[in-house]
Amino acid sequence: MRLTRRAAVILPAVLLVSAACGGGGATTAPTAPASATAGASATAAATASGAAEGCTVGMSWNNYQEERWARWDEPALKAAIEAGGGTYTSNDAGSSEETQITNVENLINDGADVVVILAQNTEAILPAVEAALAENIPVIAYDRLIESPDVLYTSFDNVKVGEMQAQAVLDVVSEGNFVVIKGNGDDANSDFLRQGMVNAGIPDVGENSDTITIVGESYTDNWDPAIAQTTMEQFLTDNDNEIDAALVENDGMAGGAIAALEAQGMAGTIPVSGQDGDQAALNRVALGTQTVSVWKDARELGTASGEAAIALCENGDPSAVAGTAPFTTPGGNEVAGILLEPIPVTQENLNVVLEAEWIDEETLCQGVTAGSVDGCP
Amino acid sequence: MTEATLPQGSLPEVAPPRSIGASLRAAGIDTRLLGMLLALGVIWIGFHIVSDGGFITPRNLWNLSVQSSSIGIMATGMVLIIVSRNIDLSVGAILGFVGYSMAMMQTIWIPITLGFGLEQPWAWIVTVIFGLILGGILGLIQGFIVAYLGVPSFIVTLGGLLVWRGLIFQYVQGQTLAPLDTTFRLLGGGPTGSVGELMSWFIGILICVGIVYALITNRRRRRRYGFTMRPVIAEIAIGVLACVAVLGAVWVANSYYWPTNLAAQYAEQQGIPIPPGGLQIPTGIANPVLILLVVGGLMTYLATRRRFGRNVYAIGGNPDAAVLSGINVKRTIMYTFGLMGLLAAVSAAVQTARLNAAVTGLGVSNELDVISAAVIGGTSFAGGIGTIPGAILGAVVMQSLRSGMLLLNVDSPVQDIVVGIVLVAAVGVDSFLRRRGT
Repeated sequence: MRLTRRAAVILPAVLLVSAACGGGGATTAPTAPASATAGASATAAATASGAAEGCTVGMSWNNYQEERWARWDEPALKAAIEAGGGTYTSNDAGSSEETQITNVENLINDGADVVVILAQNTEAILPAVEAALAENIPVIAYDRLIESPDVLYTSFDNVKVGEMQAQAVLDVVSEGNFVVIKGNGDDANSDFLRQGMVNAGIPDVGENSDTITIVGESYTDNWDPAIAQTTMEQFLTDNDNEIDAALVENDGMAGGAIAALEAQGMAGTIPVSGQDGDQAALNRVALGTQTVSVWKDARELGTASGEAAIALCENGDPSAVAGTAPFTTPGGNEVAGILLEPIPVTQENLNVVLEAEWIDEETLCQGVTAGSVDGCP
Repeated sequence: MTEATLPQGSLPEVAPPRSIGASLRAAGIDTRLLGMLLALGVIWIGFHIVSDGGFITPRNLWNLSVQSSSIGIMATGMVLIIVSRNIDLSVGAILGFVGYSMAMMQTIWIPITLGFGLEQPWAWIVTVIFGLILGGILGLIQGFIVAYLGVPSFIVTLGGLLVWRGLIFQYVQGQTLAPLDTTFRLLGGGPTGSVGELMSWFIGILICVGIVYALITNRRRRRRYGFTMRPVIAEIAIGVLACVAVLGAVWVANSYYWPTNLAAQYAEQQGIPIPPGGLQIPTGIANPVLILLVVGGLMTYLATRRRFGRNVYAIGGNPDAAVLSGINVKRTIMYTFGLMGLLAAVSAAVQTARLNAAVTGLGVSNELDVISAAVIGGTSFAGGIGTIPGAILGAVVMQSLRSGMLLLNVDSPVQDIVVGIVLVAAVGVDSFLRRRGT
């Protein structure tokens, strides 16, 4: 099971890398691509805006209760659709696969010209997707993959997130004893991230390189920070504190790992990675106890998807939408994808999150010695 | 003739013991608890051998004690809930909700809403009292619905699980609250959150005195009521062994020295010169473990010596008889849930302080760990049977398995499989022995 999954991970990763290289030089600089993608989608919107009057975009959320969707994604999505002359409608499935299928059918009945779906389940949503496609209504798989060859997939590049995490850590320490604390074992993202780390030069699971020894590696049930803390404590105990770097897959767990390091007086002495741009994590980056938080600006995804929806109103072919590249899914489907580049936030570029108004200066700089880092005057 | 003159009380001593178990029982020793201690010993030694001597070290045992305490604290309350033939599935959610509320109190309400600023010296105590009251109230609400409205506890606490967890998302929208107040964080342990060498010895000796006192008063009471007594030699053996175990544990905690980095930072702050070979500061008992010991002691007293506790066991043993004998069953049941909520709040303080953050996943699936600890510790779902020390030991057994497997780099799905098998096996063996015993 795991082997097949891993093989499935490598394929799209290779494709992605080749796609990124073909796409132009902009993608190699970590901080630049956000604007590059935004620019590309902006032109798409500009060409579409005139003709797409009266385009109705129906959005099906799987679980609107979660913080992120209401706060960041929806406003950006809605604004992009309305800027393109369209109308936005939505409903919420409350984490139920069955409800979501009914919801998508309702959107079709209410006259949606494009359906955007944040799927509760990649497979179970297929009947609803087929119903939409049968009526020539294009479907966008928002943030979460849908296993159908005819959808447009918009998300952040999770393999890239893993690469960025590893790169930021390797920039600080390039050899020695490393530990890897991964997310939930059932979550494909855990392995995407791990694959990205391998791309950046970290040895694969169960292997070591000449310079790097993996002295501890574990999945974490539910991405639970408390479990990550215990895991880190045991890794430190097992290795008599001789650990040179910790690759942790998200910010919550990084918090747990850093609490374990703090108890040993080691916080800030070894690099620790994370992702999500959690407020507490960005504060730790400013404090210097966490090295990097790879940040995925949800608003960017909302904007890109909204613009893609407007484009699809005019031309229903996903691969004709500007900014798309072919993406092979773990299930073997070839879809058109818009994969946004995340941004690694380190002490060097804290201004990025401040300027984007993702976090306010007071929260970011709590407890930081004034003037010690850029962004905290 | 000679047989008739024998005093009745001495009969068990004269009769030759049939087996080891029977003779232990004759000596008044809890064979179940002894069995668990043996199992724990086997687990520890097993991991020690497999990990090339990495398990039974002061540092790992110290870690283990801290890692077990949060679940251990809640397991003491779960014993009373299960003994009275109920269940509480909401402890993890209550822990999460109260933990979040306490984090809000110290990071937002006191410093910003009320304008006192961060790091007030009294903030932690206000936070803890607020949390305890909140946890107690949540528990009492569930207890009221179970006891007075007659809704099964499984349903009430399942509903509670959804409600309290939903409320977390509702009022903080999934944001992580960190960092927490530095004084509050001492509740979570760590070398700075420990009581130190002298205090640890003092606590150890205090517990020893307590054990000896309990043994003596217990014997006096038994003599007064004409109950059978353990042989004097058994009393002395129990006292000596218990004291050796307690003082040994203190010695282990004191043998774990502060990590060199922390000690160096401390020396720099205090202006102490670092001696050659490094500054060696004994860590001692960690605060969460101290909290667990206090909670465990109070709960044992409550369960075995107070009317409330005895009523709980009476209700669990035979609910109808309990009603007929004039026990206020409804009120007692409600209080067990209130107590559970209170203990979940204590664990919430320990967990958030330890993690230095409140996260939305706080306490997720802790209810299963707590119930498992109580059940591995010999608590029976049939009601009426279960001990507080057993449940704490159950928590230690579970955490020993997890920590040991982490030391061996066993991944979490495999850990789950092993813990699951051990849970079923422990209960299976237990009920088999119990059936054979009666």
